[in-house]
Amino acid sequence: MSDLLSRFRYPLTYLLLFALCVISVASRQGPVDLGVGSRLLLRLTLPLGEMVTLPVRQARGVWRDYVALLGVRGENSGLRRELSRLEEENLRYREAMVGAERFKRLAAFQARREVPMVAGNVIAQDLSRWFQSVIIDQGKDAGIRAGMPVISGAGVVGVIAGTTATASKVLLMIDLQSRVDAYVQRSRARGTVRGRSEEACELDYVLREEDVREGDQLLTSGLGAVYPKGLLVGTVSHIERKPYGLFQTVQVDPAVDFRNLEEVFVILEERELPADADFSGPDEELWGLAAESGDG
Amino acid sequence: MKAVAKLAGVGLALVLVQLLIAAALPPQIRPDLVLMFALALGLRGGTRRLLLAFALGFLVDVFSGSPPGLFALLCGTACAVTRGVDRALYLRAPVPWAAYVAGYTLVDGLLLGLILRVLLPESALGWWALLSRLPGEVLLTALAAGPFLILFLRLDVDAEPDGRRAGLGLIGTRL
Repeated sequence: MSDLLSRFRYPLTYLLLFALCVISVASRQGPVDLGVGSRLLLRLTLPLGEMVTLPVRQARGVWRDYVALLGVRGENSGLRRELSRLEEENLRYREAMVGAERFKRLAAFQARREVPMVAGNVIAQDLSRWFQSVIIDQGKDAGIRAGMPVISGAGVVGVIAGTTATASKVLLMIDLQSRVDAYVQRSRARGTVRGRSEEACELDYVLREEDVREGDQLLTSGLGAVYPKGLLVGTVSHIERKPYGLFQTVQVDPAVDFRNLEEVFVILEERELPADADFSGPDEELWGLAAESGDG
Repeated sequence: MKAVAKLAGVGLALVLVQLLIAAALPPQIRPDLVLMFALALGLRGGTRRLLLAFALGFLVDVFSGSPPGLFALLCGTACAVTRGVDRALYLRAPVPWAAYVAGYTLVDGLLLGLILRVLLPESALGWWALLSRLPGEVLLTALAAGPFLILFLRLDVDAEPDGRRAGLGLIGTRL
């Protein structure tokens, strides 16, 4: 028996590990925290990884700060911040106007809802070219848990897919496994934004008769139990309506530039799946906004 | 054991280089050094090397958004397949090795597509989209494989306790 085992040790080892890997891949269901082994490996190797990638990040920083944008960066950064703030404000106003037209009653806004967030820096990119994730320098110690939404000043970035004490893996919105429930701001048409592991995403399950136009902005619906309602997802860049089929093909340009992603914010809010009525009701619980109670 | 520890060190170094490449180069022009190393680990049989290939693949999984186990599966399979192919074909020279690595990198991409299609159909990438992304990776991995083989065989000889040569001599003993 032991002779037989030692003779077939190699194929048996392979088959055993193969089976374990297949079970591990197939049993993946949504964002769950990293296992003990993964956490340990990441914790041990990430400092080395940071050390190795530091020169590249610093070289990029030198180029950005001193060569390409000599003297302009500071001013530009301030203007961008201002623009980003104004865009966000504009978006909120437009969103509120659409709601007002629909329900004839939204007139004024209350104070902005305080949402706890943690800022993080991107310290490593995805090792494979088939998946889209980044590692940030904030983890469990900062209150981050798997499944929490990640945003940037521009819009939706992704979701936390695993944490160690001091780092977190963020599955980007453009990854193959990513789905974001979203709606068209102008027409309220709903669909699911699906990552394709490249720069553009697709908006699935939009019925052919739904009103979607190029340039329309997509916002999170809040129905996926991950992202709060009203975050900017992207812009419709291309629409294809075939003469057959139930749905139209809608291509979406993400609001976030994932190639140059450096800083992100993790929203420290555990969310639960809301009832469908919450979506079709008045937009009182928009992201960062709360409609004034009363008739307005 | 010392030999495997040495190879593990090389593997870890290659993962770090791959991290550096991921930070510096766009996805279209990135060689897959970890796959190349997993293939090289199959050049000489041994369960420890197979375990090492799986472990390195798992490390890639940790640094990637992939479902855990996917790259472990791919790297382990690459090692096991090379072990089989090495018995039938002469791979221990830079040119045939580079050609083999190019061919296997293509197969590896298709295997990844197949696994996703079977196990995670909702996350599968279209075949055309998958194939269109492979040429750069295949070419650059093959280009890196030739010089790497020379280093790897030298390291492997040094790692052997009796200093046996891993090239033709070993094939001769097998025959």
